[in-house]
Amino acid sequence: MKVLLVGGAGREHAIAAAFARSGHEPRLYCLSDLTNPGIKGIVKKSGGEYYLGNINDPEGVIKAAKKSGADFVFVGPEEPNFHGVPDRLEDGGIPCIGANRAVSELEMSKASMRDLQWKYKIPGRLWYKKFKTFEEAVPYIEEYADSVALKPARQAGGKGVKVIEDFQVYLQEDKRKVKKEHAESIVREYMKGYDDIDYKLLIEERVWGPEYTVHCFTDGSTVVPMPAVQDNKHAFDGDLGLETGGMGSISCGMNLRWGVDDGRAILTDEEYLKSVEIVRMMIDAIQTETGEKYHGVVAGQMMLTSVWGPTVIEMYSRLGDPEAGNVLSVLKSDIVDICEAIIGERLNTIKAEFEDKAVVVKAVCPEGYPNRRDIASGHPVKIKGNGDGILWASADIKDERVFSGGSRVVECLGVGESVPEASRRAEKLTEKVSLEDGWKLFHRRDIGSEKSLERRIALANMAREIYQYRERRGLLGKRMIWIPGKGLVEVG
Amino acid sequence: MAGILGIYLFDNRWNAYNFGVFGLMALQHRGQETAGFELFGDDRNKVAGKGLVEQVLASANTKGHICVGAVSPYPAEDAEIQPISLNGKVSAAIDGKILKVDGYQWNGSISYEENLRRAFSEQVKGSNDLDGLKGFFGRCRGGFSYVAVNENRDMVAGRGAMGVKPLVLGKMGFDGGIVASESCVMDIIGERVPISPAENIEPGEVRVFTPLSAHSEQGATSKRRAYCSFEYVYLARPDSYINDVPVYRVRRSIGKKLVEEGYVDADVVIGVPETAIPFAMAHSNETGIPVEKGFELTGRRVRSAMKPNQFERLKGVQLKLNVISEAVKGKRVVLIDDSVVRGNTLANIVYLMKEKGAKEIHVRIGSPHIVSHCPFGVEVPPEDELIGKHLPEDKIAEVVGADSFKYLSIEGLIEAVGMSRRDLCLGCFNGHYPEV
Repeated sequence: MKVLLVGGAGREHAIAAAFARSGHEPRLYCLSDLTNPGIKGIVKKSGGEYYLGNINDPEGVIKAAKKSGADFVFVGPEEPNFHGVPDRLEDGGIPCIGANRAVSELEMSKASMRDLQWKYKIPGRLWYKKFKTFEEAVPYIEEYADSVALKPARQAGGKGVKVIEDFQVYLQEDKRKVKKEHAESIVREYMKGYDDIDYKLLIEERVWGPEYTVHCFTDGSTVVPMPAVQDNKHAFDGDLGLETGGMGSISCGMNLRWGVDDGRAILTDEEYLKSVEIVRMMIDAIQTETGEKYHGVVAGQMMLTSVWGPTVIEMYSRLGDPEAGNVLSVLKSDIVDICEAIIGERLNTIKAEFEDKAVVVKAVCPEGYPNRRDIASGHPVKIKGNGDGILWASADIKDERVFSGGSRVVECLGVGESVPEASRRAEKLTEKVSLEDGWKLFHRRDIGSEKSLERRIALANMAREIYQYRERRGLLGKRMIWIPGKGLVEVG
Repeated sequence: MAGILGIYLFDNRWNAYNFGVFGLMALQHRGQETAGFELFGDDRNKVAGKGLVEQVLASANTKGHICVGAVSPYPAEDAEIQPISLNGKVSAAIDGKILKVDGYQWNGSISYEENLRRAFSEQVKGSNDLDGLKGFFGRCRGGFSYVAVNENRDMVAGRGAMGVKPLVLGKMGFDGGIVASESCVMDIIGERVPISPAENIEPGEVRVFTPLSAHSEQGATSKRRAYCSFEYVYLARPDSYINDVPVYRVRRSIGKKLVEEGYVDADVVIGVPETAIPFAMAHSNETGIPVEKGFELTGRRVRSAMKPNQFERLKGVQLKLNVISEAVKGKRVVLIDDSVVRGNTLANIVYLMKEKGAKEIHVRIGSPHIVSHCPFGVEVPPEDELIGKHLPEDKIAEVVGADSFKYLSIEGLIEAVGMSRRDLCLGCFNGHYPEV
């Protein structure tokens, strides 16, 4: 058996590690634009080959697939999906795990995702407005005084999102100014170069609550959910500072429990199941809308909000990074069996099992990340010891040495009986990583700590109390505003 | 003391000016004599002067995405207006007092600020980098919290090793962080996080912000904690958390303790605005004696006890505390105040209340007797002025014209705060200060 893995980040290292554990002992090949040392090691050991090339070019991927003789291709990141790589592979008779161009619209266009959610009345939908130009958005920003999330209408590598809380009227002028300036930079900078979508800017209502991601394997009919994972987006300890692609993630059991034998949890079983149901409804909706089948991984990036309970923030058409480390490291079933079942559209015959363990992943980044990738990249990286538990992420081999890319250089993965225990193990692993030229690395110590878990559970309890009250009153997802002189406006 | 504030916004599209103004307004109760801030952006802009935040700062029009500021109760004649300049390159706001700097010979013949400047210059030896700044505050000893910004746009903020003065951290979404003396600042200008609004900064902890990072470092910390107990009695706002303890909870507990320790049968309980009102409410809940609004205010709300001279204090009291006669006429009154320093404003209040027909006045004080001058900058006058140091309770009752007079006991205060005695500084009340 031969498998071609497309992509070379931390997520793909986690995928490669899952293939390395398979009883089918597949020969693993990889196509990536950088040489990921971790994937390279696995590829070599399995007897496969590592190809360098553009992962978004369908022709190149087909060539690599043919060269390797792969039985199927596993696409790691989202951009190849948006570029139709899975479509072209299947046209060429090469099976592929990866959302095709049509269904990956769920992730690619944040505007279409919301349209769909409202059209099909899927729960957990937020107010939003989409704009094709900055000028269109200006009057809206000037009139609509509220807390909002400003997003590029297209998935832009996770960049460009800004959440601005606009509650205090005495600070409104400042906040509107920044809202406007950021909206403008979304349209003119973050969306620059993406001409595959009409809309440029999305403005959504801002909600609060604990965030979590629910990943599922799907063959278009059956949905196999994975353990819920909580990512941490702020760059610095204590949820402070800039938005990143994710500084680390925690999981335990299916519903983000404190520990294997500890009932405290961020989500109730019911909330977890409801979240899976929402993801399933999104898959059904996009398939109905496009007439295409979804083969691969889909994820709901969710938040437990006071308005809806489980609420969709964004959708992924692939595994999250660093969340992939959490779910794949506890995947008990054979990933090859799962992939073959997806390809054969018989996922209903497979029982995907996950070990009941706590996992904490901590990303380690060179200083400069996320806003100054120019100064974060190019530093030689050293890992002490055998590298067990360390996933290579944004790194590249040049002249036999490993250099940092501009993003998260490695992800340290700790497993344990409780989240704090797993966190301590991950923390220990971070000590093994350094940059040989003395440039500083940073990571978040607080991810998975007792204090941080307590805060998240407290936040979840607060959101829960309010949404359950609304549910009892029949007000779930409904919002009412009294506009003086105009009357009652209801949305929901 | 002072109220200090640091705002660090990573994105220079933000202007921290209004955040600084409203943030310092939320700390106005910690000092009403001077106000000032310095904003760092493309350039540096400092605004500071005598008066309240809205008089000094609100009409200025400056820009910058980083702000260091303070309000202070010291008249500009006695102390430099904060934030002070440490060597032209560093702007610092300090709450409390730095009493010595390791490796520096303190010079009694020059001003406090001048000593800090010399110590700073000696120790950083011309370098203005982040390590110099952290190193300097790491060598400072005393009871203080600080926020300082250097010209490289690095901000450091922290608490002295014993944690005498408070400091908390709040957030502004993905855009930055805020440090302030009290958590109420986060309610006013910070992100409205629906759990605790702010994180306590631990004694010895240093919060560092640079254009590339934000993190916490644990500096030297003393085994001895010496959290200022006066914060809970009077200094802090009741909507703040100090060392993770809600101030309002302590004030209510003090009200209950006053009942336990000095119950007297009466017709009405009245708290002296503003600080003593929660004491009176809790006292009333505990005893069933109705609580009434006893006073009406004329003009602006001032913290009369913090005024620098007797004339200003009495003026403050008389304008703030016009007695509502209907609330007291013919009644036996339990009158609760937060503290007694010299006793003359209290005498004035008792006199005004008797004049409006109160039948009996039983004064209860929500803190123990003040016997000592605080070395860490709490505004307590010289010891020969302190009535509680020199006179017993029954004598004070006679002096102020009350029918009875009773302080809260030191044990009562400790229990109300809910911390162990060795974690608190009770120096104002017992003269024992932690060794610096």
